[in-house]
Amino acid sequence: MTTLVFPLSRIEGHAHVSIELNGGEVVSARFQATELRGFQYFVHGVPAQQMPVIVPRICGVCSTAHQVASVKALEDAYGVTPPPVANKIRELLLIGQLIQNQATSLFIFTMPDRLGVASIFQAAAEEEGSDKERAGIATRALQVRKAGTDLISLAGGQFIHPVKAVVGGVTSGIQHEAAVAMHGQLARALPIACELFDYYWEMSLALRERIGTWGDDEPAYYIASTDDTFPNFDSGILRVMGPDGNVNDCFPARAFRSYLTIEETEYSYAGQTSFRGEVLRANSLARINMIRCMGTPRADEYLARFQEAFGRPAHAILLFDLCRGIELVYALERAMELLEQPLDAADTANPHTPRDGEGFGMVEAPRGPLIHHYRIENGLIAEAEFIIPTIHNILAIERALRVAARRYITAEKVSLELERAVGRVVRAFDPCIACATH
Amino acid sequence: MKQFAVLQLSGCAGCEVALLNAEEWLDQYKLVYMPLVVSAYDVPEVDVLLVSGSVRTDEDLYHLRQAARRGKQVIAVGTCAISGGVAHLGERDEVRQLFLAQEGRLHLPRLLPKSRPIDSVMAVDRYLPGCPPTPELFMAALFNPPDFKVAASVCQECGRRKDREMRPEHLVGFLQGDVLPDICLINQGYLCIGTTTRGGCRALCTRAGHPCVGCRGPSDAFIEKESNIWFNAIKRVFTGMTNIPAEEIDHELHSPQLALFLFQFSDYAEPVNSADPVRPPRSKDKVL
Repeated sequence: MTTLVFPLSRIEGHAHVSIELNGGEVVSARFQATELRGFQYFVHGVPAQQMPVIVPRICGVCSTAHQVASVKALEDAYGVTPPPVANKIRELLLIGQLIQNQATSLFIFTMPDRLGVASIFQAAAEEEGSDKERAGIATRALQVRKAGTDLISLAGGQFIHPVKAVVGGVTSGIQHEAAVAMHGQLARALPIACELFDYYWEMSLALRERIGTWGDDEPAYYIASTDDTFPNFDSGILRVMGPDGNVNDCFPARAFRSYLTIEETEYSYAGQTSFRGEVLRANSLARINMIRCMGTPRADEYLARFQEAFGRPAHAILLFDLCRGIELVYALERAMELLEQPLDAADTANPHTPRDGEGFGMVEAPRGPLIHHYRIENGLIAEAEFIIPTIHNILAIERALRVAARRYITAEKVSLELERAVGRVVRAFDPCIACATH
Repeated sequence: MKQFAVLQLSGCAGCEVALLNAEEWLDQYKLVYMPLVVSAYDVPEVDVLLVSGSVRTDEDLYHLRQAARRGKQVIAVGTCAISGGVAHLGERDEVRQLFLAQEGRLHLPRLLPKSRPIDSVMAVDRYLPGCPPTPELFMAALFNPPDFKVAASVCQECGRRKDREMRPEHLVGFLQGDVLPDICLINQGYLCIGTTTRGGCRALCTRAGHPCVGCRGPSDAFIEKESNIWFNAIKRVFTGMTNIPAEEIDHELHSPQLALFLFQFSDYAEPVNSADPVRPPRSKDKVL
């Protein structure tokens, strides 16, 4: 028996892939998350109201989703709902996160695979003499990303680990002048994002020819908490779509255990989810398969182009990446729509009285549905669960890795392409290990 | 072109994300290692080595030891690298047992008994506190401009107006409802410790209406002293500005969300082995 270990980079966090071989036969392919800080353990006894400050630190990439989910879990326990303006500002916060995340995943994590370089910053250094699309690619990528970061700062008060979402609402509104300035910045970022995405799309098609397929094409189940018509990151309802494209199961966050089985393993600090014994997928492809239209003009053009080329539901894993691009364009457009509405109301939070009990908070994070579940006794956290979207993808990642391993491993040799294939497969799912292990 | 690397230990990647929010380094520094964005197997020799995250697992310890001599200058960035960070909350007696239960996992890096700061393993030239430090501070750490100086306290950068007439009787607790614009958060009954917390962050949180939790650590006056001296200074501020009983402040200062940050310089690390000498406090001259 031989074990091949592939360290992973250009993903969030510490993980590697181990593939076990016997002769030329692939025995197993494992995705191993190798870090653990233990948030679910050390928040025991923490005053419940402090959770929105502590839990964003689960992940600096996804801190916005954690902050909002945490606040919503407390609101569920305390029985308070935010005023409409607060919901709009929270939507902006989640949209800012989506811009930042999808721009990072597309242009910083996976673009180097399309360009054959070790990092986007290396591509920048080599730009002399290369084609014009590559010129200044890192600067443009950072510019799009920064529009998301600045939107998070505006709506969340901090660029990472935001502070403005509070139980009952948000601490303050957004002044008209600040909204106008942000709108302008987003309007400048949109054409740059489209240009980079067009180039990315083209390079992805070239990749398809080189590797022969788009990876593991077996149909899967999909899970998302978006609406079935338009994108919605705060629907409160989880949906599971079958491989045939029908959504047969809808349930609220508090019922997740009746539908999802989450198992821990000996070889990873991240759990793994299955749906009635079947492989699940979350993240961009799950959402794009589930919704009917994006509701903004440029994004709908891309969606139509996508569905025409790949059908609905689409299953090839490298399509996760293209779906991120569609969502990036949507998020930029949607943020501008929201900023055109009045957001500077004086009353941005409803009063509440803390009480003991149980609360569930869910948002659709860039990587899929994120659930925080707290049980509060004497004002302190007696039990906390963090149901992280990445764990819904672990079985799908491992299945796709087995397919890749079998393609590149024979009795005679292991193709050097395997390492690149492992990287592409894992990055398509954009796993977040700090979150998954927390 | 100068080269720099970022070694990521156990953390949330927020520091790395903060760094990516700056672009001034793009044409002056080559980023040769940072697993979040660069595929490279090992830390090469570099001019500047930034280390983020804490030493939580034996794998962290291994990577840190490997990298220790490869940077001409080593900078510890973020609360985790400086003190162990949020993972430090796992060291409370009441939850330690839960961690021990994780030890039996096969084929995985083992958890160390403590979440440790990196200078318990290697010498550090500079400290860049913040959870996370802002992109501006990252650039100051990389470029080291001679005239750069951070504000003495968050309070100096905040811009909220103090109101002598508003003397709250009790803390309102964190995060209750609307916050008045422009008025000092202490006057509104929030436990804001921006008065004595190190500045340089541009007071992002307090400007947005959230009390400062002290993520940048103490200002220069308290950095080389034990944390009680800082605590007493905070209590004096509240005695001067409010009618809130001292016990109430004292109790809240020891709550977990502040404990994350308040001990990052003082009382930061007991010796790893009981036979080791107690380390002297870190010099304030090394802190950005």
